[in-house]
Amino acid sequence: MLKKKRNAKGWFWFFRLVLILFGLRGGYLLLSFVCLHYLIFDRAAVEATLAYVQRRFPDDGLLKKRLHVYRIFISQGKGIIDRFAATAGSKTFRIRFKEQEKVQSLIKKNDSGFILLTAHVGNWMLAMTALGKLNRKVYLVVRPEDNPVAVRSLNLSRENEFIKIISPEQDLGGVVEMMKVLGEGGIVSIMGDRCYDFTAVKVDFLGAKAMFPCGAFSIAAASGVPVVVLLSAKLSTYEYMVDMSHIFYPRYEEGVSKREQIAAWVQNFSCLLEQYVNQHPYQCLLFYDVWKRAREKETEHG
Amino acid sequence: MDEKNKMELAQIRAKLKKLLVSQLSLENVKAEEIKDDEVLFGEGLGLDSLDAVEIVVLLQRNFGLDVKDMNQGKKIFYSVDTLAKYIHENRKK
Repeated sequence: MLKKKRNAKGWFWFFRLVLILFGLRGGYLLLSFVCLHYLIFDRAAVEATLAYVQRRFPDDGLLKKRLHVYRIFISQGKGIIDRFAATAGSKTFRIRFKEQEKVQSLIKKNDSGFILLTAHVGNWMLAMTALGKLNRKVYLVVRPEDNPVAVRSLNLSRENEFIKIISPEQDLGGVVEMMKVLGEGGIVSIMGDRCYDFTAVKVDFLGAKAMFPCGAFSIAAASGVPVVVLLSAKLSTYEYMVDMSHIFYPRYEEGVSKREQIAAWVQNFSCLLEQYVNQHPYQCLLFYDVWKRAREKETEHG
Repeated sequence: MDEKNKMELAQIRAKLKKLLVSQLSLENVKAEEIKDDEVLFGEGLGLDSLDAVEIVVLLQRNFGLDVKDMNQGKKIFYSVDTLAKYIHENRKK
């Protein structure tokens, strides 16, 4: 919703000011009006959100679907405000890690890094800031121009000590850099629901075929590193949950096509994501149609 | 380039072509059909980012080489010829 073209910089400073003047709840209250404005006047944002809403709530009528869109806008807005509050240090959020010991044990056992597979759900950016506890450098595979809010609220830059950016638009989709930092013990965070330039596969997601990228699993299998799924959700005003309990160890089996094996792993991730959106329907911030590309592929291949 | 170097390069190219066909599971492509200067990604041989991952591993396992400079990646991975030259130059060091 709050993309660069929608003046993310302006909103960033506006909410920062509101936060200082009226606190978190004041920000939330104002958000309800801002989101109403977007619901009425920003057709593109509504359309982008409806792709998910139509899959998640297929039986609901037009008005109810609009209400779902509104609630998703609110959820995204709260996430942005929370990040501002957290990074500015004006509010502390309790982050409850689910089975954190699994990842800690993985880090103790391995000198090499791992892939952190996340998605546009919950408050993944806030969850990232909590990764400092792992004491490893995190390399975020994002296009900064697609994530101006993330770049600002996470203070992302190539100079950031703890979280660094790998651009998926560099040569070979950043594969060389990703494999290099994994070998050095870094954590490479990849969005499992956004394709960028990496090869994608068709998976079942919310009752239809969707296109999800397969870079995380192919790089993990080739580098011999695990894939840790990171999903976060806002549980209450001051509490978040970060789930990193699902760890995959993708390794190729002889005699089976590598692409088929990768597709099966991506499908497993898609199932996890589906479970998540069933539990937290308004924390899915998929503002683009992942099903459309799968339909287009089907048309291409007759 | 002297004859010895030329011969070494030719051997690397031949080995690379065989490895590309077997490691990347290229269907309906024979090693000897791949041209030395054929573009590997996109047009040409039609490799994609999944194959790029496999080539990085192939270089590590078969030639003991890491591509550390990501800015060189595209230049090195351009064709069998550029890959072979990279291997030849860096193996000697």
